[in-house]
Amino acid sequence: MTEELFAAMRQSVIDGDADAAAALAEQALADGVDPLVAIDEAYVPGIRYVGEQFRCGDLFLPDMMLAARAMERAVAVLEPEMLARSSQRKVLGRVVLGTVKGDIHEIGKNLVAMMLTANGFEVHDLGVDVAPERFVEKAKEIDATMVGVSALLTTTMTGQRAVVTALAEAGLRERVKVIVGGAPVTRAWADEIGADGYGEDAVGAVTLARELVGA
Amino acid sequence: MRYEATFLSESDQARVHEESLRMLAEVGVRFHGERALPLLEAAGAAVDDDSGIARIPRAVVEAALATAPREFVLGARNPVFDYALPSPVSRFCLDGTAAFARDFETGERRYGTRLDIELGCRVFQAADMGVMAWAPTAASDAPSGARALHEFVTMLRSSSKHGEHELHTREQVPYLVDALRAMFGDDTAVRQRHPASLIYCPVAPLTHDGPMLDAYLDLGALDLPVMFMPMPIPGTTGPASLFGNIALANAEALSTIVVFQLAHPGRPLIYSSAVGSMDFRSGAYLGGTPEMGVQSAALTTMGRFYGLPATSAGCTADAHDTGPEAIIEKLLTTIPPMSAGSAIIVGFGEIDGDQTLVLEQILVDNELAHLCERLVEGIDPATADGLVEEVAEVGPGGNFLFSERTRRAARSGEFYLPSLLGRQSRDAWLEAGSPTLYDRARERVRDILEAPMLDPLPDAVDGELDRILAAADRELG
Repeated sequence: MTEELFAAMRQSVIDGDADAAAALAEQALADGVDPLVAIDEAYVPGIRYVGEQFRCGDLFLPDMMLAARAMERAVAVLEPEMLARSSQRKVLGRVVLGTVKGDIHEIGKNLVAMMLTANGFEVHDLGVDVAPERFVEKAKEIDATMVGVSALLTTTMTGQRAVVTALAEAGLRERVKVIVGGAPVTRAWADEIGADGYGEDAVGAVTLARELVGA
Repeated sequence: MRYEATFLSESDQARVHEESLRMLAEVGVRFHGERALPLLEAAGAAVDDDSGIARIPRAVVEAALATAPREFVLGARNPVFDYALPSPVSRFCLDGTAAFARDFETGERRYGTRLDIELGCRVFQAADMGVMAWAPTAASDAPSGARALHEFVTMLRSSSKHGEHELHTREQVPYLVDALRAMFGDDTAVRQRHPASLIYCPVAPLTHDGPMLDAYLDLGALDLPVMFMPMPIPGTTGPASLFGNIALANAEALSTIVVFQLAHPGRPLIYSSAVGSMDFRSGAYLGGTPEMGVQSAALTTMGRFYGLPATSAGCTADAHDTGPEAIIEKLLTTIPPMSAGSAIIVGFGEIDGDQTLVLEQILVDNELAHLCERLVEGIDPATADGLVEEVAEVGPGGNFLFSERTRRAARSGEFYLPSLLGRQSRDAWLEAGSPTLYDRARERVRDILEAPMLDPLPDAVDGELDRILAAADRELG
């Protein structure tokens, strides 16, 4: 019974069925399954499989996105019980993401958010038009490992420098990595502003994030 | 007979219109900024101030469509380049605004500068299929607060064709107004001649940028035309069906028409679009695809459905280098909108997903534009008047080369004579050093840049523009 349940939980992520993933998570709780075990032994293997298939080109970005969403929904169901038991999910890192102040473009950032989630990171997405202080505040709040800053315009990419500076002034740069991205952003720009890396696209951002946390 | 392709049947066009109206009325559009929502609410839209979303009813859309002008002239600093809309032919705009430029001498890809804008516009000045300049790169060497102004003015200085560009904030508006007065005389002259226009891109899906929209509404006082260019991408910022994405883009277009016409009824508007597609393996934006081509054509059709001047993006390439990939992609994205009757196709000169300006690409694209134009011009039966008589004169086994008609036809539009494509014999080509299309374009670019700038502004006007930009640098940062 448990074996079947776990197989179904895994499959719900592979299928990208968020409703099923959430419902099965509810069932797991009702059956007394440890929520951390449900995540680590059912849902994570599902998302890992999707990641492998994506890397070899058999599954595409929409498959990844739906799988990540299914994972998110399941985790949301299981989280209250995890808190109650004082268990903490193992994640590769805690990431704050946002688009800089004055810029409301976010599709690339949203892709990165989902991809990082699918690859074992805990992501806190601040949305668009985010002031540097807000990045700092959130990074402190969640004890972030990493901050990701997106900008689509040459006029707004200076906001990425402002975030790096704000984190430094808050004394966070030693333990918080900064990655940047967006159409006008280059490796040279990332180096110039003191960021730790630059992701050319969502896939590149995940590779970089994994490297930076040593995964 | 001009070759015209049908991308949307009449019933499809009507369906796109109805689906767009439903989106506007039922889903609504988010408007950031200060000016749009009060205008919409006063006109009868249902506005939610917390979310910034306005649900726009059919009647408001129809009223706006009724006041949008069907024809006007895009004036140019040099009136010989004035371009009347609608147009029976397709002409081209310089592409903009890339972040990068390929240095003409070193080949290095680096951030664009004011000099790149000047050089790009000077080369574009020589592109005879080009009618509208656009600052081809960002001016990374200008202070960010005034950057758009530097880009705008450099463009208008360097090309005497109609120029369009963008502003990003309301604070930039007075400086642009002063610059236009300095160049064209006074507000009346600007309103009458329309020598500059604005490019406006909603943020898909269904969102309008506040500072830019407010600035453009402020510029309605000068009646500056606005080319609006929705750019949803199927599967991310738009529905994953091409038809659905077209309807969403059209909804964004209608919402733009509404807000600009509410603010200034009768303000000239140019229907456009820049809808690409997505690589579902990497998430990368793609602009040089057949999907982009057909969507551009379909949206051109929708612009014509409304009777508005209809234009589109096109001649776009994702290729990271000049060469055959870029050419394939540019052809794929030029022929469809041209055959749908796009009055202006945007645009020349860029590769790498519209992110890198390459000067020689401007002239290669100009040649490509000519070739495509010849294609869509099709076949003119009038050229065969007196046909049998001519054939009888030449007779079986004869030679039409001796015919007077042939002599006239050799110099007519019946046969396109390329200026960059090589037509020499193989031996002659080898002797010349085996030049490529791009080699010939580079030579031509060098000739253009070594010659004096065409139609320079008078020194006094230049001086005034420098003063205005310096003030903008000080005051906007």
